[in-house]
Order: sequence, then structure tokens, then C-alpha cells
Amino acid sequence: TGGHTAEILRLLSCLSESYSPRHYIFADSDKMSEAKIRSFEQKRSETFSNSQFTLDRIPRSREVRQSWISSVVTTLYSILYSLPLTYKLKPDLVLCNGPGTCVPVCISALLLGLLGIKRAIIVYVESICRVETLSLSGKILYYFSDYFIVQWPDLKEKYPKSIYLGRLV
Amino acid sequence: FRFKDSLAEDLGRADLVISHAGAGSCLETLEKRKPIIVVTNEKLMNNHQLELAKQLHRDGHVLCCNCSTLVETLQSMDLSTLKPFPPGQPEKFALFLDKVVG
Repeated sequence: TGGHTAEILRLLSCLSESYSPRHYIFADSDKMSEAKIRSFEQKRSETFSNSQFTLDRIPRSREVRQSWISSVVTTLYSILYSLPLTYKLKPDLVLCNGPGTCVPVCISALLLGLLGIKRAIIVYVESICRVETLSLSGKILYYFSDYFIVQWPDLKEKYPKSIYLGRLV
Repeated sequence: FRFKDSLAEDLGRADLVISHAGAGSCLETLEKRKPIIVVTNEKLMNNHQLELAKQLHRDGHVLCCNCSTLVETLQSMDLSTLKPFPPGQPEKFALFLDKVVG
């Protein structure tokens, strides 16, 4: 979703060209992210000649303030959808920053790893908006990611396994 | 305004920004080094949106008020007390990632 997309594109801004091809996954209900991503990639292709990226949409896992029970159902549905997509992409690295959309993708990546099909490194960067508490995605992926990055020191204290690099965006 | 792709141009011309506590709005304004008054509405907002506004206020980067105190804040504000907001450093993230991915 919009805010998350803007943040993650900033995170990507300094990455070298070895992080290619880039596969962007976002929610089907998201109207603005595609434009932002295209604009980012367009600028990037002005510096790097071999820029490759793809865009994919998956069903949104959860609406804001959606109830617990229905969230589990919609997230399961999103997982069913994202599993074949993740299998097709077989990423080496999964990078996410907190929208509900990232949970099914990370779970799919984890499953692929468990099944011995493809082991991806999962890096989660909690949004800069999260100063004192983790998002729901963060609370879940704190246990399932390989590297969990926070942007404020309070969170590093509360979640000792996290990594604090200062403010990144 | 809601559907404008970017407020960057308008932000560039502004002398003062009065904004809701959305992170994108706050951060974009702070990056352009414009003074900002953040108006919080605890009834409408998700609690987590307040976190960033509170922290920015604590660190002296923004002025805060709510809808009913806005006029008063505008009348009595001293924008020189606002501290500049240092930019984030995505290069640190790139360095980190290079190390773990190899």
C-alpha cells in the first residue's frame, strides 16, 4: 500500500545492480503503488542499463481493523494465491516492510524453504512510523524472518533479536 | 488534492504546513525543511499513527495540536524552536544487505 511502497522504494534507492531482477508484489486493491514503482524503476534505468523488474498483484490479506477470524481466512486465501507465485519467482531474497500483503509472501517463501525447493533470506524492515510498537505483520515476522530491522531504539530494546541501524528512510 | 501524484511542488512553495499526522505527510514536509504543525485527532486515528507524531514532537521537529487548539497554536507559535530533521540513510541499509546476502 501507498505509504509502505514509498518507504520500501527509499530503502531500495542505494542498492547495487546485483539486486536484480526485482519482483514487486502488492495488493490487488492498491491503486497507487504501481505508478510509484514504475517511476522508481524508470529513474533507475537511467543509471543502470540492465534494470529488470516485474509487478504482481495478490489478493489483499487484511483490511485495516478487519476482525481476527476473517483476517485468518483472507490471509489463508492470500497464501494460497501467493504460493504458486513465489514458487515461480523462486527469490533469493525477500524484502518487506510491513503491509499485510507481505505476510502471505513470506510464509510462502518459508514453505518453499522447508520443502527444500528454494531457501530465501527474509529481511523485514519495520516502518519508520513504528516508534514504540510493532505492526501486526512485524509481530508475526519477528519470529519468522532471518533479519528483522527496526528504525527506532525503543523497539530494539523491546525486541532484542531485532537490528537497529538508525533511521533508514 | 487527494489524487495529485505529488505534493512536492506545493510543499516547495509553502511557508508553513498544517497537516494531519500521516507519516508520509510529516516526513515529506520535514525533508523539505518546512515548518509543520501536526494536527492530531485521536478519535479518528489508528493509535500507531500517533507514535511518529509524538516522537517527532518530543524531538522538537514538529509542533503538535488538535483541532480545537489549532487557532491558539497558530497565534502563539514560535517556529524558530523547531529543529531540523536529519535525513534517513538508506545507504546503511544497502551496506547491511550487501553483508548478509554476500
